[in-house]
Amino acid sequence: MEEEKIHVDVEDFSEEQFMESFMRDIQSEEGVLIIGILVALALVILTIVFFGNFWGSSKARNAVLLLGLCDSGKTLLFTRLLLGKFVRTQTSITENSSTYKSKNERGSSWTLIDVPGHESLRVQIVEKYKAVAQAIVFVVDSSVFQKDVRDVAEFLYSILTDNIVAKNAPTLVVACNKQDISMAKSAKLIQQQLEKELNTLRVTRSAALSSQDGAVGGSVYLGKKGKDFEFTQLPNRVEFIECSALGSKGEDGDADIHNLENCLAKI
Amino acid sequence: MLDFFAIFSKGGIVLWCFQGAGVTEPFSGAINALLRSVILQERSGNNSFTHNALSLKYKLDNEFELVFVVGFQKILTLTYVDKFIDDVQLHFRDRYKNELEKRGALKFLLNHFEFGDDFHILLREAEGSSKAKAPVSMRTFNESQKSQKTVKSMIETKDGDKSKEQVGKKSKNAKKEAESGGDQAKAASKKAVENGNEGLTQEEIIERNRAKFISKQLGGGKPEKSSKSPKPQKPKGKVNRVWDMSGKRIAELDYSGTNGDSSDAQNQDPDATAEPLIQVDSMKGDLRGVDYESSDDEDEEVQEEDKVVVADTNKKGGKKGGFGGMFGMLKGLVGAKNLTQEDMEPVLDKMKDHLIAKNVAAEIASQLCNSVAKKLEGKVMGTFTTVASTVKQALQDSLVQILQPKRRVDILRDVLEARSQRKPFVITFCGVNGVGKSTNLAKISYWLIENGFTVLIAACDTFRAGAVEQLRTHQRRLNSLHPPEKHGGQPAIQLFEKGYGKDAAGIAMEAIAFARNQGFDVVLIDTAGRMQDNAPLMTALAKLIAVNTPDLVLFVGEALVGNEAVDQLVKFNQALADHSKTDKPRLIDGIVLTKFDTIDDKVGAAISMTYITGQPIVFVGTGQTYSDLRSLNARAVVSALMKA
Repeated sequence: MEEEKIHVDVEDFSEEQFMESFMRDIQSEEGVLIIGILVALALVILTIVFFGNFWGSSKARNAVLLLGLCDSGKTLLFTRLLLGKFVRTQTSITENSSTYKSKNERGSSWTLIDVPGHESLRVQIVEKYKAVAQAIVFVVDSSVFQKDVRDVAEFLYSILTDNIVAKNAPTLVVACNKQDISMAKSAKLIQQQLEKELNTLRVTRSAALSSQDGAVGGSVYLGKKGKDFEFTQLPNRVEFIECSALGSKGEDGDADIHNLENCLAKI
Repeated sequence: MLDFFAIFSKGGIVLWCFQGAGVTEPFSGAINALLRSVILQERSGNNSFTHNALSLKYKLDNEFELVFVVGFQKILTLTYVDKFIDDVQLHFRDRYKNELEKRGALKFLLNHFEFGDDFHILLREAEGSSKAKAPVSMRTFNESQKSQKTVKSMIETKDGDKSKEQVGKKSKNAKKEAESGGDQAKAASKKAVENGNEGLTQEEIIERNRAKFISKQLGGGKPEKSSKSPKPQKPKGKVNRVWDMSGKRIAELDYSGTNGDSSDAQNQDPDATAEPLIQVDSMKGDLRGVDYESSDDEDEEVQEEDKVVVADTNKKGGKKGGFGGMFGMLKGLVGAKNLTQEDMEPVLDKMKDHLIAKNVAAEIASQLCNSVAKKLEGKVMGTFTTVASTVKQALQDSLVQILQPKRRVDILRDVLEARSQRKPFVITFCGVNGVGKSTNLAKISYWLIENGFTVLIAACDTFRAGAVEQLRTHQRRLNSLHPPEKHGGQPAIQLFEKGYGKDAAGIAMEAIAFARNQGFDVVLIDTAGRMQDNAPLMTALAKLIAVNTPDLVLFVGEALVGNEAVDQLVKFNQALADHSKTDKPRLIDGIVLTKFDTIDDKVGAAISMTYITGQPIVFVGTGQTYSDLRSLNARAVVSALMKA
């Protein structure tokens, strides 16, 4: 009797018998539970795969960010580009985003995102959207530029030295806004001042790179070492244009943004 | 009565606005000030704000991302405004629900929100309801209840009830006669009093009073018996105090000769050259951020796991519970669910306790939680998110927002700017006793020297024994690390001191003039530590700052401080504002957070200090050697704060 038992045990380890017993298990009452769990797991895996694909596809770069300091006219520019009409605006505390149909032959459309300029918000929101930026429109208030040149340069520096932005190298359009005010500086002057300021910032911000290895964040060096900084040294395509979101006639007239629209059409 | 009313989206687009008759000033400046100081600084707990002569009240609609703001003159006290805003908000939502439910910013731009008529109707209703209550005219004496009572009834006696009844009948009679005049009624009541008194003789009154007195004594005597004073201890005899040094001579106790006097460069401290831990040129450039293990990746993994688990239980629950149960669970997780105050309260209380456990000041934690509640009220939750996760995410976002500097923090750039204008950049350090002002001043001067600037230290701590010697020691060590030969013959750092007991403001002024003459780039002013309650010392500090107008006023606070941080900063700012003669007083411009290495993850002091002042944390001190100086890494601090 014992020998038979032993034989039976050895036989049980063979695969066929195992499969039969498995099938028997599945067809039993408790097996419904096991089936349920297996199906649930399969569904979950499918869901993950589906969501992963969905997220992955949206990572294509199809957004244009409107960045700039507070009060530089981003929200009004956003409205003018989309609809051409004037609205009163206040300081934004969240971002505005909408699809924009560009005025070129292909009629391509992408997402235009207006990022608030306030210092406490801009870092977080730029973090959210920097990976999908195809182009960056940096709006500068030309009338108070002289006073704010250091703040403008610091913001521009922090964007350009961000790892992800430096890798993607989106097109940079610096829109010198508020040209309707008589004291506004020209785009050429703004470009020169920014180059000088960024040159200084390179020294104060990244002098540590040559003496210490990789301990400082933002380890991107703008332009070429040893030479004064110029925007042509950047891998991105950079353009400086003048525009006026308010327009010469104020609320009723059109905005003077043809240059900007042409620029955006090239993207 | 209202100056203006504006409805605009959180993205900044004004949907509808109303300007009161006769008001010519544009209100956008006031609204921008409201947004920047209240909502963006997470002070939205209390919903009113004053700007110049205007008082502003606001309401956030988080479901449709709208802001409602009303402004009126500060001197008027309008009682209907709160209810009025609520009414307007509900009305606006109901009327434009269809347009507002679409997604994207275009909905705000494409639709015209003609709200004027409704607004005026609501305004008239609100104003009407507040005027409806006409002032009540005073009743005459005859109409009042007092005339019905007699004087005797108002005396409280043991038999008071009986006499009241008697008097009541009499007063009814008196009332009938009252038509002839009040005097007769008074006369009648007087007679009633005299009659009542005759009922009790003098002796009985005395007896009753005595009984009351005795009962009082008995009751009061019991606690006195229990509080016996402990038996007095045996008085010790006076023992002569023995000083250890009583035998040695005075000359040996004088240490000022060996350390304090000599300032010639030849007396190089051998300790400095033997210092193995100081690496020259290690502090060049911008400061490193405070180190923490990056838990960002871990957070993402945890979130994905949560979602997987939720989906899993969802499916399992569906299979087991049947159709009704499945729908119930699905509904709970999927679909539009609005957040209400009751939903958020338990989570917010837990978060508040968590923050307090992490050393955030108690009132700051509660204000923060109120502000987050206001921000989230009515918001629609996404699919597969729980109330707890939404609230935690919102709290994390607002903490990062608080820690982000509101202005550019780049000291090296500002020093370069001052150098190009041929004047020294003046930094003042102030704070309470023992937080690390002199130590961190030395660390900052080391960092500045590493970056090629020349530094003058002004020893304006003329009170504490050894303060000047301490700074002189630092000066000698730093000079030995960076010998003058490297800096073109001029010593990299010099000490300006005038000994002890002198006026600090005067020394500071002379130091700045000296620096300007000699061409120093930076002047670091070290002041004495002082408690915030000490009025004369606070006045002296305010005078120093007002007279010398430094470029940067840094408040040095230690990371170990708890609720005290709020008190210290408020009183320091108050003192600086009170004693300055100008319209725009110089307040604290930045914070140095010291002793950061002594706290593991109880980093709440950073939040308390930035919340109170609104100023950024410029430096973080993480130790006592020269290279222990960092800049603040907002993300790392917030992740340490939210860690379980």
